[in-house]
Amino acid sequence: MQNLLTYLIFTPVIAALLGLFISAEAKKIFRLLTFVVSAIQLLIILLIVGNITPQSGSFQLMEKYNWFSIDLGNWGILKAEYLLGLDGLGFSMVVLSVLVMLIAGISSWTIDKNVKGYFILLWILNGAIIGTFCALDFLLFYLFFEFMLLPMYFLIGIWGGPKREYASIKFLLYTLLGSILILIVLIALVISVQAPESGDTVVHTFSLLHMSDPANFIIGSILNPDDAWVIGSQTARWWAFLLLFIGFAIKLPAVPLHTWLPDAHVEAPTPISVILAALLLKVGAYGLLRIAYPIFPDAAMELSSVVAFVGVLSIIYAALNALAAKDLKRLIAYSSVSHMGFVLLGLASLTVEGISGAVYQMFSHGLISAMLFLIAGVLYDRTHDRLINNYSGLASKMPVFFVFVLIAFFASLGLPGFSGFIAELMVLLGALASGSTNELISEGFAFAAAFGLILGAAYYLWTLQRMFFGPFHVKNGIRTELLTDLDRREFGMLISLALVILIFGIFPQVLLDYINPFAKNFSDTLTESIRLIQNP
Amino acid sequence: MPELILACGILLLVVVALFLRGKKTNLHALLTLAILTASIAYTFFSWAFYHTPVTLFGNMIHSDQFSCYFRILVDVATALTVLMAMRNKSLSEKFNSEFYTFLLGAVLGSHLLMMSTNLVMVFISLELLSISSYILAGYSFTKKGAEGSLKYFLFGSAASAIMLYGFSILFGITGTLEFTAGDFVNNLSANQSALVIVAAIMAFAGFLYKIAAAPMHIWAPDVYEGSPMPVIAFLSVVPKLAGIVVLAKMTTTFATTTVSFDWQLVMAVIAMLSIGIGNLSALWQNNAKRMMAYSSIAQSGFLLIGVVCLTSQSMQAFLFYSALYLAANYAVFISLQAFEKNSIDSIASFSGTGRSFLFLSVVLLGGLISLTGIPPTGGFTSKLFMFASLWASYEQTGKTVLLWLLIFGLLNTVVSLFYYLKIPYYAFLKSPNASLSPENTRFENFLAFILVVGILFLFIRPDFLMGWLNTINFVL
Repeated sequence: MQNLLTYLIFTPVIAALLGLFISAEAKKIFRLLTFVVSAIQLLIILLIVGNITPQSGSFQLMEKYNWFSIDLGNWGILKAEYLLGLDGLGFSMVVLSVLVMLIAGISSWTIDKNVKGYFILLWILNGAIIGTFCALDFLLFYLFFEFMLLPMYFLIGIWGGPKREYASIKFLLYTLLGSILILIVLIALVISVQAPESGDTVVHTFSLLHMSDPANFIIGSILNPDDAWVIGSQTARWWAFLLLFIGFAIKLPAVPLHTWLPDAHVEAPTPISVILAALLLKVGAYGLLRIAYPIFPDAAMELSSVVAFVGVLSIIYAALNALAAKDLKRLIAYSSVSHMGFVLLGLASLTVEGISGAVYQMFSHGLISAMLFLIAGVLYDRTHDRLINNYSGLASKMPVFFVFVLIAFFASLGLPGFSGFIAELMVLLGALASGSTNELISEGFAFAAAFGLILGAAYYLWTLQRMFFGPFHVKNGIRTELLTDLDRREFGMLISLALVILIFGIFPQVLLDYINPFAKNFSDTLTESIRLIQNP
Repeated sequence: MPELILACGILLLVVVALFLRGKKTNLHALLTLAILTASIAYTFFSWAFYHTPVTLFGNMIHSDQFSCYFRILVDVATALTVLMAMRNKSLSEKFNSEFYTFLLGAVLGSHLLMMSTNLVMVFISLELLSISSYILAGYSFTKKGAEGSLKYFLFGSAASAIMLYGFSILFGITGTLEFTAGDFVNNLSANQSALVIVAAIMAFAGFLYKIAAAPMHIWAPDVYEGSPMPVIAFLSVVPKLAGIVVLAKMTTTFATTTVSFDWQLVMAVIAMLSIGIGNLSALWQNNAKRMMAYSSIAQSGFLLIGVVCLTSQSMQAFLFYSALYLAANYAVFISLQAFEKNSIDSIASFSGTGRSFLFLSVVLLGGLISLTGIPPTGGFTSKLFMFASLWASYEQTGKTVLLWLLIFGLLNTVVSLFYYLKIPYYAFLKSPNASLSPENTRFENFLAFILVVGILFLFIRPDFLMGWLNTINFVL
């Protein structure tokens, strides 16, 4: 099968183009079409599974076309490619995207305001997210990365809650700041890297594959690993990694760059919250794994304590915030930040377990946070009130809903049997192993992170106790007859997510077969590059 | 030469106006368009001829592909201005023929300015451009317009006088008026003194005024606020490009002399000041025209980056950036004019226009995003090329100021996004204040749409324009 990835990316884009010509009154057609898009994407995923060999740690299903190549005189040729490919990391993220987009699409059926605009933006976002996970050319990656910005801005800003305007512009400015930092490094890299095929004229390339190979840096260029320039007190490579790290940490988000996230989540409509938590945050972690680490392994190693510290800080600080949160959605948002901290910790360890755990955590958190935000949405749809203190004893009133809340909360706090447990366990193992193998981060970080797990249990259990146990009563004038149990659509979404979370918790090997070769390859390549850079 | 076409065209317009006095007609506009088309066509077809530069009028004028390219840009911009003016009620009623005459006068001035290599020629053509634009700026015939025009004139004359003074000192030091000649460079190098720097800065003041770069930018907001929309669009592009082109030529001269003074530093500081002041002031504006005035100040700073580096690569990026700037700016102003017709001018009054003018608002968004420099617009590609040349220049020279300019410039993109998105923010996120009865804006929609399609196309295939620019010989 040729060009599977292109089909995957452009199916929603074509739907968006089609959508322009459908009458805005035909809401049903849009709702149906989003289902069709997801069905086609699922089908393509099945084809991809059939065409991919999990054991190989390298890129598969590569698609390579020339995008543009510009002759810039004595400076050489500037070449960008339409370069797509999947490895274990990209594969798991693409699968996650398609699953979450399906759920988000179904959840969007309740949207009633300006349906046409909503779904068109949603499809553009869909294509951009999957494109980000497939692109292996930095410029292409950046294009898709930026393409998520404006649709998201309008989706929060038009269809969001009461303070949506503030939240959307805050989201936009934070994210753009991050992408500008990335852009600075992008430009520096293009100048410093030449394609191996360049002969007399230097071919400057955007290809991430070429950038990841230390041999491709032009001698004397700013980022050349052998004699990198010194800017201030540090090497240019150190700065470049730092900029990339900050840029992607904003997206991740890591404390202290996380403040846009709670606002955006609280104001965003349910399906957009789901996408934001489940997919957009992963783009930040993905960028670190795909770009920052492979290109600057030496600087990454040097800064691994910082990365681990930021990760642990996010875990603890966000968990404490979640403990203090009064709004259910804000609590879930902070728990997202806390769980993404594990990804950073796993990355910083640079061990195979740690990397595997980080990727697994990205996948599992995607599913769990989607479920959590759906749960918050269920409540909000009924009463338009999410304050934890306004509810008590909901378990008796909405028993089926309560079961799913239990599953989601326990999955999120890392109960064995759910996917989150496997991921966090692997991260902690990796962090511990790092102390004895590559000595990058100390064991203290692992213990601190484990303490974060306890905090996680605390805020979830306390929320359960406050909202669902005890005698039933509601405050703030909430009408009790509104609190009906789940309808069929909500039940369908939640049960499928719960099943998937369980499956990946009990049979982690299904996904680890794809992730482990990637993690091993990633760790080996990085160690090899570091060795090459240090003893050329 | 296209300048002959323009000069004859001006005379033709004056003569035709004598016969059509007092009649309401579109003939002047159509005639102007024809003249401009002829000029563009001539330049285009003589493209290959100018591969080797041609010197005319005793070294007064230097015609090469570099200036040919900018002449085409200026003519295209003017043609778009004419199209806008045809749709502008206040312009088509009063002194209609004179408007187009002055417009062509300004075009002729900018053509000559971009080709001149002689200080006197620079001054004469700059004045031709300036005096025409002083009058154009007052064409709204309102109190605000008169104020803006007068301010423009007074500040402008002062700037010209300072520039002329600088020229005279330079002439005194070097003994020649041809600033590209070997004598000029040698004599400057031989006579190192503080006077050289003072004279050069004075000379530059006039150009900085024309391109509205800090610290010579103060006139821009008032003039923009009071002028009719086509004139603003014209002022934000044509004098700016012309000024930067001649600035590039002069800076090249100064950079090649062994002056103990760092021109790169001076230009980099000016660029940073323009970007910073323009962006930070634009944040606080609540009138669309004033906001665009500050935006144009900031854009001057970005355009100046090409002059800061002065490598062939940076000039190429500058050429590319100019074209994209032109397209995006005109797309924005064309849509703003359409909104103005529906009496929407303050930013707050854009509330809910995303619903009543969906198409126009989307096109406006496209133009604004391109000015910000976010994908998928050509504005992003042009910024990418510009900053890539800046990085490369830093790599060659190792001057830290270039690195600061790079970081400062790129971070300012975030600031600029905040105000560029203000109008779309009101248009799409706020609900309408009053019910609007949309006037016909089909022509504006179409025109702006074409420009935006061009912008998008140049993002996907930048090699189309860049490949062509690469053939340009950059000997200044």
